[in-house]
Amino acid sequence: MKKVIIIGFLGVIAYYLLSAFASVPFGADLIKGVKDFYLDKSPNDLKVANVVTSIVVNFRGFDTLGEVTVLFLASTALGSILYRRRSHDSGLNPQRTAPEASALVQTGAKVIFPFTIMLGAYIFIHGHLTPGGGFQGGAIIATGFLLMLVSYRKFFIEHNALTWIEAIAGSTFVILGLLGLVYANNHNFLENFLPAGKLNDLLSGGIIGIIYVAVGFKVGAEITGILDTLLTVKETGLDPEEN
Amino acid sequence: MVISDPVYFIALPLLTAFLLPLFGKIYKPLIGIIPGLVFAFIAYISFDLYLNLVPGKPIVIQLAGWAPPWGINLVFSEFSGFVVTLITFLAFLVWVYSYNFKKVGFDNSKKYFTLLMLLVAGSIGVVLTGDIFNMFVFLEITAISSYGLTAFYKGRDSAEAAFKFLLIGSLSSTFILLAILLLYKQVGTLNMAEIAVKAQSIDPKMKSIIAILFMIGLGIEAEMFPMNGWVPDAYSQAPGPVAASFAGMLAKSGIYALVRVFYTVLEVDGIFDLLLIMGILTIIFAEFSAMRQTRLRRMLAYSSIGQMGLIMVAFSFNTKAGIFAGLFLMFNHAIIKSLLFLASGFLTYSTKQKKIRDLDGFGKIMPFTSLMFGLGAFAIVGLPPFSGFWGKLNMLVATADSNLYFVIALILLVAVVEVVYYFKVIGRLYFRQQHKEVEVHKPTWNAIAAMSVLAIVIIGVGIYPDLITDYLTKATNELFDKASYIHNVLPNLSLN
Repeated sequence: MKKVIIIGFLGVIAYYLLSAFASVPFGADLIKGVKDFYLDKSPNDLKVANVVTSIVVNFRGFDTLGEVTVLFLASTALGSILYRRRSHDSGLNPQRTAPEASALVQTGAKVIFPFTIMLGAYIFIHGHLTPGGGFQGGAIIATGFLLMLVSYRKFFIEHNALTWIEAIAGSTFVILGLLGLVYANNHNFLENFLPAGKLNDLLSGGIIGIIYVAVGFKVGAEITGILDTLLTVKETGLDPEEN
Repeated sequence: MVISDPVYFIALPLLTAFLLPLFGKIYKPLIGIIPGLVFAFIAYISFDLYLNLVPGKPIVIQLAGWAPPWGINLVFSEFSGFVVTLITFLAFLVWVYSYNFKKVGFDNSKKYFTLLMLLVAGSIGVVLTGDIFNMFVFLEITAISSYGLTAFYKGRDSAEAAFKFLLIGSLSSTFILLAILLLYKQVGTLNMAEIAVKAQSIDPKMKSIIAILFMIGLGIEAEMFPMNGWVPDAYSQAPGPVAASFAGMLAKSGIYALVRVFYTVLEVDGIFDLLLIMGILTIIFAEFSAMRQTRLRRMLAYSSIGQMGLIMVAFSFNTKAGIFAGLFLMFNHAIIKSLLFLASGFLTYSTKQKKIRDLDGFGKIMPFTSLMFGLGAFAIVGLPPFSGFWGKLNMLVATADSNLYFVIALILLVAVVEVVYYFKVIGRLYFRQQHKEVEVHKPTWNAIAAMSVLAIVIIGVGIYPDLITDYLTKATNELFDKASYIHNVLPNLSLN
């Protein structure tokens, strides 16, 4: 009986959601909104060739700061839920559950790894010029580390280094924003205060490119940290108070 | 003036949270000290900004140098400023209560302060933002930091509570995101003021679908029935100060978002009737569940849901008296529930099961904590001379103004139910003999300070309600006057 009621409710929700989304024509042009302004200002005022980047980092940069924080939170909270004994805390070596990969995979991983890192770095450094950016580049770098983690049982990530990268990259974002309050024309948070440069140059777009590089480092470090947390053996750290 | 820019409320806690691991490497006690300094600073500037606010002239801040609707803006108005000041004040008190977290060790306290910092930043962001998608981002930040804080004690029950919270919270985010998606497709903008103008032309059927999606998504955060299954588990498994911050910040930002969306952004026929019905169901469900609880924390959690239901009912009247009562109840719930959770942290410290019957005779062995709990219980039930009395009185007046006599009957009945379960606890604290030896945990001096400040506020506002009624009236006027909100954010645009 309970299940029937639940299915009934779900059916009602599904019907209304479907009818709402069915009325949105697929691929049709949006009604006139804020988009034309973005398309005009990105290349002309901000000198950023990739309009998506200028929206993500400048027009809606505050959202991106929030998204970076969400990722930071996810890695912090995951660390607190999945308790893990670290090698330098207890003297025990951390263990990985997966067996050692074959020699073929190991050799391949070693060859691909530096190129993956390079590709990731290229993508976030050119975030304001070509498709992609900090989030994509960071994810690619983390993929490189994932490849190493699954190939080698003895490949361990230095958590101290991750902590430093996360902290410095995250605070770079906020401090660049705060500098905007002091040096930019309108004294706004996250406003560009560096010269905009020439369209399509590597050094163009002012703080936009720098912020995206910081985001790249932060995303890379955080996803790598999350993957390492997930792949390494956990201890069930029961609180002494409970039970 | 640069120093009093509302963006500091969000930027500083975020910066501190990112840098906290580094501070810990330099000098370990810094991870407790720095958050305190930041909380004190943002509490100070929010009081400063709020007290110097010119009526009818909210502080509108644009970000990244783009005027709304192109950029994101923050609005520090009489209403949002009131809630932000409340949140920063409570954040500072929660820090005072908990900064001395010696027992849990360095790593755990680092996590605790990082997550608390971000919970505060997220709640403030939800309240300040003038952009609907930005609100979603900050709701995510509040939600995820709450999952982490719920799982603070590493045990099976906390993990279960956190997982339940995570599932329901993800559902909430999905619904809010779907609502924003549909809304953006209709109006082509994310700025709340511009949506408020353009929403008049949306097809009514579409508008009610969007409104219901918002109601479900934000209702989860605001502890609305039947989406509040996470509340009892999360409140009872999280540490005392965390439960206090959930009541004071998480629930407050949730109800703020709900109210802002339905009063300012979307005007939908019948949405307030739905809110009234949901609020009444929330009250009935919560209060009668609270009566049956045998564990102190769960009882407080259900009581908290009941209070949130009462706030929803108050806002559903869509009258100035209703909003005024709702704001008063919000203030009371934040202050009094925090005191109750902080006191319960010490009361249940020495008992494993955290059952109410283990508290027999605690009035003698923990006199201060029991007194604080008793004071909080008297206040939340609505006895004079505590601030809870004025909240309930205003609520009854507002209900009578709206001619909803059965709601008056319900509020009075619920007050009796509250008396029953709160006095059951007080009876055990003071009028029973202690039946077994327990290890007594005397509250630390900082916990005593935090609880005393809350108690002073409760009694102060109770004896002299004019302390806050002026500010509440201004906040009411700001929320009720949609046209001036739009005009202040977008001077070139007006309704019709």
